[in-house]
Amino acid sequence: MARSAQTVVSQDKSLGIYIHIPFCRSKCQYCDFYSLPRSEKTPELMDRYVRALEKHIQEGGARAPKYVVDTVYFGGGTPSYFGAERLRRVYTALSRRFNIAKSAEVTLEANPESITEKGCRRLISTGFNRISIGVQTNNDQLLKVLGRPHTFRQAQKSMEIAREAGFQNISLDLMYGLPAQSPQAWADALGSVIDMQPEHISCYGLTVQPGTPLYQYRDQAALPGDDAQAAMYLYAVSTLEAYGYHQYEISNFAQTGKECAHNLKYWMGGEYMSFGPSAASDFAGTRYTFASDVNRYIRAIATGDAITTEVEYVPIKERAGEYLMLRMRTVYGIERKEYESTFLMPFDPLESVLNFYGTRGLTRYSRETGRWCLTPQGFLVSNQLINQLIEAQRKSTPLSPHRF
Amino acid sequence: MTDLDKIRNFSIIAHIDHGKSTLADRLLEACEAVEARDMEDQILDNMDLERERGITIKARAVRLLYPAADGETYVLNLIDTPGHVDFNYEVSRSLAACEGAVLVVDASQGVEAQTLANTYLAIDAGLEVLPVINKIDLPAADPQRVKQEVEDIIGLPAEDAPEISAKNGINIPAVLEMIVRDLPAPEGDRSLPLRALIFDSQYDSYKGVIVYFRVMDGVIRQGMDVRMMSGGAVYKVVEVGYLHPRGMESAEALGAGEVGYFTASIKNVSDTRVGDTVTGVEHPAAEPLQGYKDVQPMVYSGVYPADGAKYPELRDALEKLKLNDASLSYEPESSVALGFGFRCGFLGLLHMEIIQLRLEREFNLDLITTAPSVVYRVTRTDGTVTMIDNPLNYPDPTEIELAEEPFVRASIITPPEYVGGIMDLCQDRRGEYIDMTYLDQSRVELHYDMPLNEIIFDFFDCLKSRTRGYASLDYDLTGYRASNLVKLDVLLNGDIVDALSFILHADKAYPRARKICEKLKENIPRQLFEIPVQAAIGSKIIARETIKALRKDVLAKCYGGDITRKKKLLEKQKEGKKRMRSFGSVEVPQEAFMAVLKLDSE
Repeated sequence: MARSAQTVVSQDKSLGIYIHIPFCRSKCQYCDFYSLPRSEKTPELMDRYVRALEKHIQEGGARAPKYVVDTVYFGGGTPSYFGAERLRRVYTALSRRFNIAKSAEVTLEANPESITEKGCRRLISTGFNRISIGVQTNNDQLLKVLGRPHTFRQAQKSMEIAREAGFQNISLDLMYGLPAQSPQAWADALGSVIDMQPEHISCYGLTVQPGTPLYQYRDQAALPGDDAQAAMYLYAVSTLEAYGYHQYEISNFAQTGKECAHNLKYWMGGEYMSFGPSAASDFAGTRYTFASDVNRYIRAIATGDAITTEVEYVPIKERAGEYLMLRMRTVYGIERKEYESTFLMPFDPLESVLNFYGTRGLTRYSRETGRWCLTPQGFLVSNQLINQLIEAQRKSTPLSPHRF
Repeated sequence: MTDLDKIRNFSIIAHIDHGKSTLADRLLEACEAVEARDMEDQILDNMDLERERGITIKARAVRLLYPAADGETYVLNLIDTPGHVDFNYEVSRSLAACEGAVLVVDASQGVEAQTLANTYLAIDAGLEVLPVINKIDLPAADPQRVKQEVEDIIGLPAEDAPEISAKNGINIPAVLEMIVRDLPAPEGDRSLPLRALIFDSQYDSYKGVIVYFRVMDGVIRQGMDVRMMSGGAVYKVVEVGYLHPRGMESAEALGAGEVGYFTASIKNVSDTRVGDTVTGVEHPAAEPLQGYKDVQPMVYSGVYPADGAKYPELRDALEKLKLNDASLSYEPESSVALGFGFRCGFLGLLHMEIIQLRLEREFNLDLITTAPSVVYRVTRTDGTVTMIDNPLNYPDPTEIELAEEPFVRASIITPPEYVGGIMDLCQDRRGEYIDMTYLDQSRVELHYDMPLNEIIFDFFDCLKSRTRGYASLDYDLTGYRASNLVKLDVLLNGDIVDALSFILHADKAYPRARKICEKLKENIPRQLFEIPVQAAIGSKIIARETIKALRKDVLAKCYGGDITRKKKLLEKQKEGKKRMRSFGSVEVPQEAFMAVLKLDSE
């Protein structure tokens, strides 16, 4: 909580950095992130990609001289599959071109099959201090169905390796609502992961995205229905709480002080600069996304061509909507004074919506902090609630600036 | 003016899809009235909607010049007819303007319901009916069998009926020769006072109403003062002329036996009612032509814009449609649930559907319509009598001395094997059996007295499905009868949704209430809290369902790059909401209203 409260009011120029590593050993059935599966050209392409990143990072650093980088996140794809040496080169480039705080959180996303003892040691000496491992479930049959290239035993082993190598901040990813998954099977999976004693756990409901292989056979996949998924979710929230993992966002749980600072930047409206194809940045009032094509990215970095597919200057009015959309994903929620003074919009219309659903157990007000947030039941229907809040906001009349 | 013996006035009648419009096209082509390359398929059906639904909604007419084998050139006036029971009156007036009809029968499907119904309409109108066997080039074609059917079932000589393919232009001249040879020329005396039958009219923004008519007696001239014998209105004829496939050709005068149009700066089609007789102001006819009926709307329904702000657009659209459709009526009404809209009167359900579709397509409006209602007659305890076409105005039961509903005499013609099924259906619809007559071995005519209320919903559809399309239906309003009526209210989350209320017979209330609740439950998406759906008579709840609360609508992952994408996703959800109406805190999609309307069709 201490960190979050600080983030909420933070005025200093802190920056998060995200590096996208668009390579995987193989594609999972449900994945709609941009990444390429292994081929014979992969090593050579990876090397060229490192050089492109180095050049791009150099340019990026020049744009942010006054920022202190307090989070770095290597996501993917499968960053661990990229290899420790390449990761070291990229991180070195970052530390040369940006002012990275000593206490910065530096995370690597990893898959069990590409975690090695040697690799982990090297990463730690490079500066990585947090690792997020994709476990997903404890059932090898299901892992196979999902197209995951590892077993549960491998996942357990990789966690031990990381721990022994010195990672003191480990996160495990889990999924629920998997094909034919029963409530009992979910309880088992959750239990097995808690037994591994990570500092942080993410639980994602399986979302069937158009364009994925799973989408093609979704009707035959025996996916649990909405009610069943809702029950799994609520079970996870209460169980994790009982084991000391506090929910701090819709899908994220952590021991106190181990919340992912990088991801909090996304939800709390912090600034972040990203590198790599399909990566998105929100920097200096502008949100922009790079094209989802690693070859084009490499070429464009070399020639100086444009690589953004989407550039959006986000005006304050829109930020007010995003504030609701993102904050309400977290347990830190929203607060009257903060909202009214930042956006010059009245809080009353929002509060009447929040009150309405408060009596129905979907929202919660804390007298202690004066903040409104969603309950776990509310998180489950957060799209609807957020839209109603945004609607109420849209209809409200701005406050006079003289009030403040 | 053409000599009477060189004129042939005819219609084409057929079961749906047997090729009426296609044959019309071929006749036009054969007479070179329209060059093939200029032709949009099926020129007679000139509304998109008609083409799509395969039915002709409004009658049109064309004048063709046919150089016959006998060396003479004949004037053929082809008058098109609508093909649905809602428009039976219009059909009968179109047929009354003809001496004969070409009956198109599909060479594989044979005689079907509308073949019969339309043939009898034509025979009733005293027309000579000439069969034509169409689609002979289809693999399943069996012209001999179909000819035999025509002789056996309809009793028309069919031995010499031309065997044609309208689609591929096979044997079309034989049809034209037959028309010239076998159809009687019109009769009529051009020296008598003018009597012209109006069979259709259409609004044109430059000329005002264009009146389509057939001269029965006398002559109509440009500049002449004419009177509508029933409507009473008087006009000076601005233009008179013939109807060509590609436009109108003005003439000095039209005489008895001829078909054409006139304009007279008429502002509203309501002043030129179909079936009315046009006569001269100077030498008026003593008697109007037989058969005029003042067509009254039979069905009323509330029509509301889905987006309340579109009310002015809806008003303008109705105004425009009304210009062309005298049988449409409307007046403003408002509903607590739906805001401002209009109470519209229609000839029947198809008419209602067509108007709604036209409003949606031609005027780009999203509509919510309320359950159709007939006009009830209520006598209050204080003796005042009120006609009620809107459930909202239905008085409290304690104030009602007598409630009456309109009844019709329904006539159903069917092959005998379906009689049992039809009797069950009529019984179920509170029908009172009158009699049954064998018209011949293969056809039975049934008469029932039935509440109109039971017919307007989906009776025709049910009848067709129970008789595989063979039965035909016609009905006439016979008057009002006392009835045990109740008003059924629907409550969402405890609040009455006035737009869903309707009046019905007490015996039907329970099953209907249950169905409505079920349908609403199916069609209202789950919301953030549980919603009771109830149906009530007065304060008594007679059916109940519960829409469970929505359990899950969440974006599991939302990371940096996703923000723009997720924002769009949320926005899309919001767009969907625009098509919903909120009642208190409950959001109801348009489909829910539609589903309640289609309650019985399963």
